[in-house]
Amino acid sequence: MADFFQQVVAGLASGGIYAALALALVLIHRATGVINFAQGEMATFSTYILWTLTANHGWPYWPAFAFTLAVSFAGGIAIHQVVIRPVERGSLLRVVIVTIGLLLLLNGAMTWIWGGEVRAVENPFPTRTIDVAGVAISLQDLYTIAVVLGTVVVLWAFFQFTKVGLAMRAAAVNPAEARLVGVRVAWMLGLGWGLAAALGAIAGALTAPSVFLDPNMMQAVLIYAFAAAVLGGIDSPAGAVVGGLLLGVGLNLLGTYVDFVGADLRLPAALLVILVVLLVKPSGLFGRPEVKRV
Amino acid sequence: MRTRLALATLTLAAALVAGVTAASAGQAARAADPGVTPTSILLGGTTPLSGPYSAFSSVARGADAYFDYVNARGGVNGRKISYTYVDDAYNPAQTIQAMRTLVEQDKVFAVFNALGTEHNLLVRDYLNAAGVPHLFAASGSTTLGLDAARYPYSIGFQPSYRAEGWMYGKFLARTRPGSRVAVLFQNDDYGKDLLNGLKQGMHRSKVKVVAAEPYETTAFDVQAQVASLRSSGADVFAIFAAGKFAIQAYVIANKLGWRPKLVINNVVSSASNVMLLASEGGTNRTVQGSVSGVFLKDPTDPKWAKDPAMRLYRTVMARYAKGANARDVYHVYGMAAAYTLVRVLERAGANLTRAGVMKQVRSLNIASNPFLLPGITIKTGGSDQFPIEQMQLQRWEGKAWRAFGGLWGYRAA
Amino acid sequence: MRGPAVRTLAPVLAFVALAVLIYVLPAFVSDFRAQQFAYVGIYTLALIGLNVLTGYTGQISLGHGAFMAIGGYTTAILMAGNEQFSGGVKDIWTIPVAGVVAGAVGFLFGLPALRLSGLYLALATFAIAVATPAVIKKFEGFTGGGGGINLFGLPELTAGITPVNVLGFELNFNNWLYVLCWTVTLVGYVLAWLLLRGRTGRAFRAVRDSETAALSSGVNLATYKTLAFAVSAAYCGVAGSLFAIATTFVNPDTFPIALSIFLLVGVVVAGLGSLVGAIAGAIFIYYMQISWAQGMDKVIPDWLPILGDVDTSSPGAPAVVFGVILILLMFVLPGGVSGLVARLGAIARRGYHRSP
Repeated sequence: MADFFQQVVAGLASGGIYAALALALVLIHRATGVINFAQGEMATFSTYILWTLTANHGWPYWPAFAFTLAVSFAGGIAIHQVVIRPVERGSLLRVVIVTIGLLLLLNGAMTWIWGGEVRAVENPFPTRTIDVAGVAISLQDLYTIAVVLGTVVVLWAFFQFTKVGLAMRAAAVNPAEARLVGVRVAWMLGLGWGLAAALGAIAGALTAPSVFLDPNMMQAVLIYAFAAAVLGGIDSPAGAVVGGLLLGVGLNLLGTYVDFVGADLRLPAALLVILVVLLVKPSGLFGRPEVKRV
Repeated sequence: MRTRLALATLTLAAALVAGVTAASAGQAARAADPGVTPTSILLGGTTPLSGPYSAFSSVARGADAYFDYVNARGGVNGRKISYTYVDDAYNPAQTIQAMRTLVEQDKVFAVFNALGTEHNLLVRDYLNAAGVPHLFAASGSTTLGLDAARYPYSIGFQPSYRAEGWMYGKFLARTRPGSRVAVLFQNDDYGKDLLNGLKQGMHRSKVKVVAAEPYETTAFDVQAQVASLRSSGADVFAIFAAGKFAIQAYVIANKLGWRPKLVINNVVSSASNVMLLASEGGTNRTVQGSVSGVFLKDPTDPKWAKDPAMRLYRTVMARYAKGANARDVYHVYGMAAAYTLVRVLERAGANLTRAGVMKQVRSLNIASNPFLLPGITIKTGGSDQFPIEQMQLQRWEGKAWRAFGGLWGYRAA
Repeated sequence: MRGPAVRTLAPVLAFVALAVLIYVLPAFVSDFRAQQFAYVGIYTLALIGLNVLTGYTGQISLGHGAFMAIGGYTTAILMAGNEQFSGGVKDIWTIPVAGVVAGAVGFLFGLPALRLSGLYLALATFAIAVATPAVIKKFEGFTGGGGGINLFGLPELTAGITPVNVLGFELNFNNWLYVLCWTVTLVGYVLAWLLLRGRTGRAFRAVRDSETAALSSGVNLATYKTLAFAVSAAYCGVAGSLFAIATTFVNPDTFPIALSIFLLVGVVVAGLGSLVGAIAGAIFIYYMQISWAQGMDKVIPDWLPILGDVDTSSPGAPAVVFGVILILLMFVLPGGVSGLVARLGAIARRGYHRSP
C-alpha cells in the first residue's frame, strides 16, 4: 500500500509540472485561439535566463527569478507583436506553422548560445523529506504543487476581479464588441502571450531542479501538457491543473500496476487520453462546449 | 503510354552513363585505395552533434584534437590525418545516409570511431560490402568483437557492456554477499546488455536482483521508476543510464529519502559532469561512495595530476580543442582511440592500403596506450577481436573518482 | 485553336517537360547526388499526398510521419520476415502493399477524426505521431524493437552494392534508387491530378472553404474527409516504403515526431497543387535535415556578409536559420511556392496580353 501512495505522490509531483505548462497553453488558447507549439521552448529559454543570472552572474535566487519573470513577460508580448500578429487573421495553418518556426528558432538559439550540456539550476525549496506512514514525501514536491495551485488562484482572481483581466476575457471572446467598448484588443491578446510566457518561466523553474536543464528539457513535458490541457478542457485554467495532476497520477499508476503499459507505453497512454477525450468530450472535463457559428 | 515508354528508354540511357562511370571508379580503387595520398589520410565518422545525446560528441572532438597534435608533429609516415565527423543526431537512419556521404562523396579511407550501438551495427553491413575499414567503433556491443569473421572490416574498441555488468556482479558477489540489488536501466540493447552482464556476474552467489525498472529515452523523468525501486527494499542501487537520466536517478533517490548502501553507476555515466551535477552542490550524499568501472585515466582523478600522458592530454586540449571542457572524460576516450589508430597507421607502413590496415588491426598488441589505465593491453589476435577487455573499479570520493583494486579481465561463462 | 485545348494541353506539356528533365538529371550529376535526389523524390510523393488532405480539404495533420512509418515497416517486415511471416518478398512488390496498409489505417483513423476540426485534429494527429515510435518498439517480435530491421544485404533487395539489371540495362544502386523513386512519384502525381481535377476535387475544396456550406450543397462531409485522409495516408505509406528501401533500414527513430512536423512544413512551403511546388517543399525539408547533419558552415556561402564573424558551425545554427525562413515565408508567401508560381504565371500572361 505504501508503494501505491508513493506512486501517487510521485505522480502529483510530475503532474504539477505538466499542469504549469498546460496553464500557459490554456492562456494562449484563450487569448488568441492558437495552440502554441513553441510553449515548451519558450519555457526552457526562460529557464536558461534564470540559470545564467544565478550561476554565471551570481545573483541571489529570488531577484533573479523575478527578473526572469519580467523578461519572459516582455518577451511573450514581443513575440506576439512581432511574429504572431501579422498572421493572426490568416488561416489557422499559417499560425501553427509560425509557432513551429518559433520552436525551431528558439531551440536552435539555445543550443547556439548555451550549448547542449546539461546544467543544474538552483533549487529554491528545501530537499528534506517527511515520512508519512512509510510514504516519503519530498518538501520540494509539496512546494511545487503549492506554487501551481497558488498560480491558478491568482489567475482566477485576475480574470474575475481586475479590469485588465475582464478586458482580456472580453477581447478573447468577442473582439469586435470589445473594441466598441474601448478595449485595446491587440494589446490584450499580447498580454495573454506575456502572461503565458511568464507562466512558462515558472514551469521551467519548477522543472529544472529535478529534471536538469538542456535545450530539449520541456519537449517531453509539452506533450504531457497538451494531454493535460485537453483533458481538463483547453479553455479552462482550473481544468488544466486538475488535468495535469490526474494525468501525472494516472500514468504512474498505469505504468506501475498494468504490466503491459510499463515504462514503455506511458507516453502512448497519455496520447490515448488526448484521443479519447477529443472524441468523447472535446470540451474536456471543465470546458464549455464550443458553439459553432455559421 | 507511348510517351512513358520513350521516357523509360531515355532514363535508362541516362542512368547507364552514370552507372558506367561509377563502375569504373570501383575498378580504379584497386590501384590506390581512396582517401590516401602521399601527404594525407582522410578519415570519417558519425557522432551526435545535436539533440539530446550531443554530450557524446566530445569523443570525436578529443580524437580530432589528438590528430591535430600528431599532424603538427609531422603526421604519420609523412601523411597528415584529416578527420571528418558528421552529425547523425543519434538517429540510425541519418547515420547510414551520413556514412554514404563519407564513403561515396568524400571518399574516406576508413571510418573511425563512429558512435552508438545501433548505429554501428547498422552501417556494418554497408561498410563491409563497400570494403571500407570500420575501425574502433565507439560502442560496447558484444557482437562487434564476436562476429569478426563475418565482418572482416569492423572492429570495436572499449570493453563490452556485458563485461562491465559482469564485473559489477562479481564485485558484489565477492564483497557484499546477501545484498539486494535494484536496477534502473535504459530500455535498449545497451541497458539490457549491462543488466544481463550483472546477472551473469552474480550467478550462483548470495546477491540477487530484487527489482529492475526500465526507462525510455523519450521520457521526461525517472521519478516513477526510482519510487518503485525504493519500495523494493534493495540496499544496492545500480544505475545503468545515460546522461541526464543518471543525474536524475541520484537526485530523485535523494529527494525520496532513499539511502541505498551502495550505488553502481556504469562507465558511460561516469563522466565528471554527471557526478558533479548529481552532487547538487554537495547536498546529495547518495553520490558519495558510488562505484563505477573505468579503463581510461579520468581527468578529474588527482592521481593523474602529474602523469605525463595526462599533461599531454591537457596541453592538446588547450591547444587544439579550445573552449572544450577538459574535465570531460569522453575527450580522453577519443584520444585513446586516436592514439591506437595512429599506432596502427604507423605500423601499416609507407604503402598504406585498407588491407594493410586491417591486417594490423587484427593482430594488435599495444601495452603502452598512455591514456588507458596502466596495465591495460590492447590486444587482438585469432578469434579474440575485443581490443580492450580489462577494467578497474573506482569509487567517487569527495569530488573525484579514485580507482581501487586490481584490473578485472572478463571471462565469458 | 486557343481556349480549352490549350488549357488542358499546356499543363500536360509542362508535366512532360519536367518529367524529361527529372529523368535525364542523373546523367549530369554524381552518383551520390542522384541518391540524395531520390530522397527528394520520396518527400515529394509524401507532400503530394499530404497536400490532398491539408491543401485541398484544409485539414491540418501533424501525424503523417506515422503513416510513413506504417508503410516503411510494411515493406521491411514483408522483405525480411520474422516469426509471423516467412518474408522474402522482393522490395518493389511491397510498395503497393505498403500504400494499401497505410491507406487502410488512415481510413480507420479518419472515421473518428472527421468529427474533429482545426486545432483539435492537429492535436489528435500529433498524438499519433508521438505515440507511433513507442508502439513500434513495444511489439518487438514483429518490428525488431529499438534495433529495427536491417534490409541491407537481403537477396530480395534490388538496391545494394551490386548493380541492378533492369530490362537489360545495368544500373548501380543510387541510379536505380533515383529512377524507382521518381517513377513512383510521377505516377503518384498523375493519379492525384486525375483525382483532384474532377468532382472529388471540387468536393474537397468545398469542405475546406466552408463545411457548413458544403454540407448544405449536398457534399457528404464524412465520406470526403475520410477519403482525403485515406488517400493522403496511402501516399505517405508508399513514401515510407521507398524510404525503407532507400535507407535499407527501419527503426523507431527513422520516423520521429520531427518528420511529421517537417511534412506539414513542406506542404506549406509547397503551397497548393503544383508539382514544382511539391518538389520545392521536398527540397526545403530534405536539405533542412542534411544541413542539420553537416553543419551550417558548409551550406552557407562564405560571402554571406550579414553572418560576419558569427560562429555558423554551431549545431544550433541550422535550426535558427530554418525557423527564421519558415516564419518569413508565412509572412511573405502565404501561398507557398505554388502560389508564387501561379502569381508569376499571372504576371507573365498579363504582360503577354499587354504587349502586342
